[in-house]
Amino acid sequence: MKTKVFVTGMGALSSLGNTVESIFQALLQNQSGIQSFPEWKNYQGLHTHLGAPVPAYDISKIPRSARRTMSRMSEMAVLATLDALNQAQFTLQEKKYSPRIALCLGSTTGSPDSMEAHFKKLFEKGGPEGQLGTTFFKCMSHSVVSNVASALGFYGTAISPSSACATSAQAMIMGWELMQTGLYDIVIAGGADELHYTGAAVFDIVMAASRGYNDRPDLSPRPFDLKRDGLVISEGAAVVVLETEESCKRRKAIPLAEFKGGAYSCDGTHMSQSQKSSMVETIRESLDRTQLSPADIHYVNAHATATLYGDQEEAKAIGEVFGSRTPVSSLKGHFGHSLAACGALEVIACIKMIESQTLIRTRNLVEIDPECASVLHLKEHLSMPVHTVLSNNFAFGGINSSLILSKSS
Amino acid sequence: MTNPKIITKVNSVMHQGFEIPLEKLTPEATLFTDLGLDSLDAVDMLVHLEENIGIKVDGEKLMSVRTLQDVYTLVDELSSQPGVEAKLEH
Repeated sequence: MKTKVFVTGMGALSSLGNTVESIFQALLQNQSGIQSFPEWKNYQGLHTHLGAPVPAYDISKIPRSARRTMSRMSEMAVLATLDALNQAQFTLQEKKYSPRIALCLGSTTGSPDSMEAHFKKLFEKGGPEGQLGTTFFKCMSHSVVSNVASALGFYGTAISPSSACATSAQAMIMGWELMQTGLYDIVIAGGADELHYTGAAVFDIVMAASRGYNDRPDLSPRPFDLKRDGLVISEGAAVVVLETEESCKRRKAIPLAEFKGGAYSCDGTHMSQSQKSSMVETIRESLDRTQLSPADIHYVNAHATATLYGDQEEAKAIGEVFGSRTPVSSLKGHFGHSLAACGALEVIACIKMIESQTLIRTRNLVEIDPECASVLHLKEHLSMPVHTVLSNNFAFGGINSSLILSKSS
Repeated sequence: MTNPKIITKVNSVMHQGFEIPLEKLTPEATLFTDLGLDSLDAVDMLVHLEENIGIKVDGEKLMSVRTLQDVYTLVDELSSQPGVEAKLEH
């Protein structure tokens, strides 16, 4: 008998808003968080000038002593975590050792903004002269989880998964796995990343960033669309509180959805090109682990970032497992690609879709690419009974992840 | 008697760099107890002082700094370094 795990709290900041409710309302209204950054034209060799920043947020809840080591990604992660804990009506006991609680939060890298400032000064000075003592703590790979722990006074297990675009999906699946061991009651899982031109450049260099819509940010990215030309980088933080059924009962916590489980893999094949075959196997493994069949899944939330190759591989993989009758959409056309945050952000959106019984369409999907046509695309929102959904996330390095959520009974 | 321009400049660094209310910035205030700084902040304080006032400080000098007056005195002692006077004027 598997340990049942529920989502009891959610918090998120994204380009569409700084609360879960405002984000979902923006999705229902089919809004775009994408903006033009004409100043990026000054970066030699950068062709994409689109990004999706998070609206201004209030950091007064975070004391200076904690904030001094935070870049934007950690600030956003703290705010999302506070919202998630608040919804779960769960208070961490400050500085009290809590071995049955884990904090599992990651990012793609440490703060790119801080790293740029650090190395710029390092090269200018020819050495470390003039470096702030607090900068490294913004740059280290586990900056997000450490800063959230520090801000909340959390004393327990802290893990920092990092697999770029699959980071928070892996964090949540890992949290579910941790709870299967019986050693943990609660895992606070998610991810965060901050917008920086170097992040856009990573995708631009490998021809995976949108560059044809710089003057029309509302028209890109275009997941699964024939005229898609790449992803648009975004930022944000998304955090969920995962909790065992026993803990929910003990605390009288209100489950928002059941986290049925998931699977992840690395196909060891190619650094930048996703493989349909390993996507299929990961999706199937997530179904096997949760003892569900493809027919049990009412909706698939695709990773689909609007890259030429990745979208078609994913569409073919979803088609192979689910056929052409299960609704599929991607939310990247609304949010942009928030990298380490996107897995948890999309899980939160899926839970809201289950709650509202409304599936959100793929924004900017006008003419379906024939190479992506093997599934049932949502070009409009769809109201229908939705009980169980599957969400995919894939990342550079051959990383695949699939997880399943269900309406809590 | 410390140069008032030094006091103004140091207080500005403490206020802007560490969000300390100006009314708490009294000469007798201790950095760690009264002003809530710690060793990590002390390192950053030196960097901010170097950037804003132009002094070059040997990090070991920090060991003898306890109060805000000690900071004023330290800056005063180093204020003859090249470029400091011009920075104090701004």
